[in-house]
Amino acid sequence: MSARPRPSPLRPPRTARSRSSSGAIAVWLIALLIALVATIQLRSQAEVERSLQSADPASLAFSIDQLHRANESLDAEVNALNQQVAALQSGGSTAADRELAAEAVQLRMLEGLIAVHGPGIVFTFDASGVTAIDLQDAINSLMAGGGEAMEVNVHRVVEGVDVEQTDNGVTIDGSVVSVPWTIIVIGDPTRLAETADAMTQQLRSDRRVREAAYRVESDLVIRAVISERPFVYGATGS
Amino acid sequence: MRRPQLLSSALVALVALAVGFLIAGQVKAQLLTPSNAVARNQALIHSVQDLESTNVADRQKIAALRAQIAALEAQAANQSATTAGLRDAVADLRAHAGLTPLHGPGVEVDLSNGDPSTDPTGQARYLVNYEDVQDLVNLLFAAGAEGVAVSGRRITPISSFSGSQGEVVIDQGPPLFSPIKVVAVGDRNSMQAALDDPAQLTSLRIRVIQYSVRLKITGLPDASLPAYDASLEIPYVGPA
Repeated sequence: MSARPRPSPLRPPRTARSRSSSGAIAVWLIALLIALVATIQLRSQAEVERSLQSADPASLAFSIDQLHRANESLDAEVNALNQQVAALQSGGSTAADRELAAEAVQLRMLEGLIAVHGPGIVFTFDASGVTAIDLQDAINSLMAGGGEAMEVNVHRVVEGVDVEQTDNGVTIDGSVVSVPWTIIVIGDPTRLAETADAMTQQLRSDRRVREAAYRVESDLVIRAVISERPFVYGATGS
Repeated sequence: MRRPQLLSSALVALVALAVGFLIAGQVKAQLLTPSNAVARNQALIHSVQDLESTNVADRQKIAALRAQIAALEAQAANQSATTAGLRDAVADLRAHAGLTPLHGPGVEVDLSNGDPSTDPTGQARYLVNYEDVQDLVNLLFAAGAEGVAVSGRRITPISSFSGSQGEVVIDQGPPLFSPIKVVAVGDRNSMQAALDDPAQLTSLRIRVIQYSVRLKITGLPDASLPAYDASLEIPYVGPA
């Protein structure tokens, strides 16, 4: 008769010990899993919130709209320049004269050196206590909203023209321009009307404003011009 | 079943239940939220990135085409005095429109966002915005600048500024963000005096103190401005 090994009285039976340790391991594993999942859960929620905050959908939509329009303008410029290259390549000095003369007229128009006409809007604005900053903001908003040429109270305005606050009031290139301001803007009439509409609504909520209105015109003329200033400090070239 | 075994089974069941809830929550956070909001934002971000790439490529094409036109005009000017005269006149107009690089004495103004922790208003007033840049450029021209560039973008007679929080869009973009570097060529002393005048750029100066917006002004003996590299088309305007 073979004797069965006698279990040690100090140790639990093998099967019972095995069941108990595997149970403990399972509980530890589950606890670990809970901690892991809870951590991931909390971190992923924090990251989602952070990314939503940093990427504001309204800002992204604004960028997309702005870039679409910008890229259309750039495409148009590329096409115009390609046509200019083709004309110059085919026509010698006669074609060059024609292209240069056309470019000179275009540059004089955008620099405000000659009278211009085209569709656009007439924006009128009257208020008390307005400053040069208010006029600068209005000019900038209208240029950003489709303006291509502008005049304020018969003073031609382009970027770089001095709009300043003085003791006598707001001046354009040194001449006082008192309210009411009449701003003639030539450019895309649809975009300009949208911009002017938003501006008038905003201005009418300002207590200082007595009048803010606009009208769309199919053909406006801007006769005011500015004089070209030669460079004193700057030299062309890199 | 013995009492300890019952307790252990109950514990395991409870733990399993908790794990189930957490996994479900995790799946919801990882799948549903991105599909609704984050994924939509990602699509918008990709659209912006694609449009910006196109924008950069178009600007490079424009710069290359303008260089090609200048070379062709130079060839034609060698053959005709009339063409040479016209070319000189247009060269001067191009310089004033910002279509030619410009250099000379000037100033550099560096603008950077402030510290978000100092801005409890929730209006992001610690960010540099397009109005800051617009005010700065206007001040520089009023003080004798003959040419200005903002982070490498040349300002032209028909330039305009727009943007949303912390974003500055000049003309045909793409958007610029802090830090913004404004360089101007012109009457350096007059520009520096205007920039140092506490009565100017008041909104920006207040935010320098309140929100740590950074404004650094440096005089330059020879500042350089790049040529404008975007569109100057004015399709609605004709000579009167």
